[in-house]
Amino acid sequence: MKDIARQSMSIKVESMDLLNGQIKMEAHASATYLAMASWCEQNGFFTSAKFFFKQAEEEREHMMKIFNFLVDTGGSPISPEVTNINHDYSSIVDVFENTLEHEVKVTKSIHNIVKKARELGDIATERFLDWFVMEQVEEENTIRDILDMIAVTGTEGVGLQMIDNQVANWIE
Amino acid sequence: MVEIYRSKYYSLQQAVRERAFYLDLGQKTIRMSLCQLLSLRHKVMSISLESHFDCDLNKHGFEVLLLCNKEHLFILNTMEVIDLKNLVEHGFVALGLSVATEAVEV
Repeated sequence: MKDIARQSMSIKVESMDLLNGQIKMEAHASATYLAMASWCEQNGFFTSAKFFFKQAEEEREHMMKIFNFLVDTGGSPISPEVTNINHDYSSIVDVFENTLEHEVKVTKSIHNIVKKARELGDIATERFLDWFVMEQVEEENTIRDILDMIAVTGTEGVGLQMIDNQVANWIE
Repeated sequence: MVEIYRSKYYSLQQAVRERAFYLDLGQKTIRMSLCQLLSLRHKVMSISLESHFDCDLNKHGFEVLLLCNKEHLFILNTMEVIDLKNLVEHGFVALGLSVATEAVEV
């Protein structure tokens, strides 16, 4: 039997489903960072707002990277629905702590897809995700460094203003 | 035409020369590309069977399925939905695009 299905698609459908889930997660992250940028703007943390606008763009780029991979492999990328975006934060520390939590979730999800792709023998998906694995190391490290800087600076007196100014060091 | 998989009510066939698939849904047979088959899979696997057993979520126990860019419309009852899920799941395994032996979440 001629394998016309394999000729049209080069990854497993299970990988495609997981990557569509990841598209949704990246879109949610992008929207969440946009909400954080909005909070920062409203509360006078203008440098942090710039940082989150940039993060939102980056997450969308990640989403598009996966979307295009699915197109290239003959899969069916699904445009994600994004709901339940939190706009309420108690402080700038809360914003960055939530960011780290979010990044850890994304990392776990990427690792899970890598493991599944390995199980399925889907080498293309596994290799494609190499870049994301290293990107997540960088993302987590950035937020951890910012949280360390916040701990050292402290939030008393002009601390909050100093924190916001320091965030500029992490905007490339 | 080569039969890929036959479930209780439906069957999936492959036409190599046309590079197309045919899905026999009883009332009619529809021709599909792999993209359309992937779209069908997404729609079918997204159907919540739980809702068929909850009068508030699905009062009549039917699903309306629009296929091939709204070219075809099917109304399926609970048993037919279960059977179509089975066909899709095993059909993709038979095509070599899936290694799963149990339902996957979409």
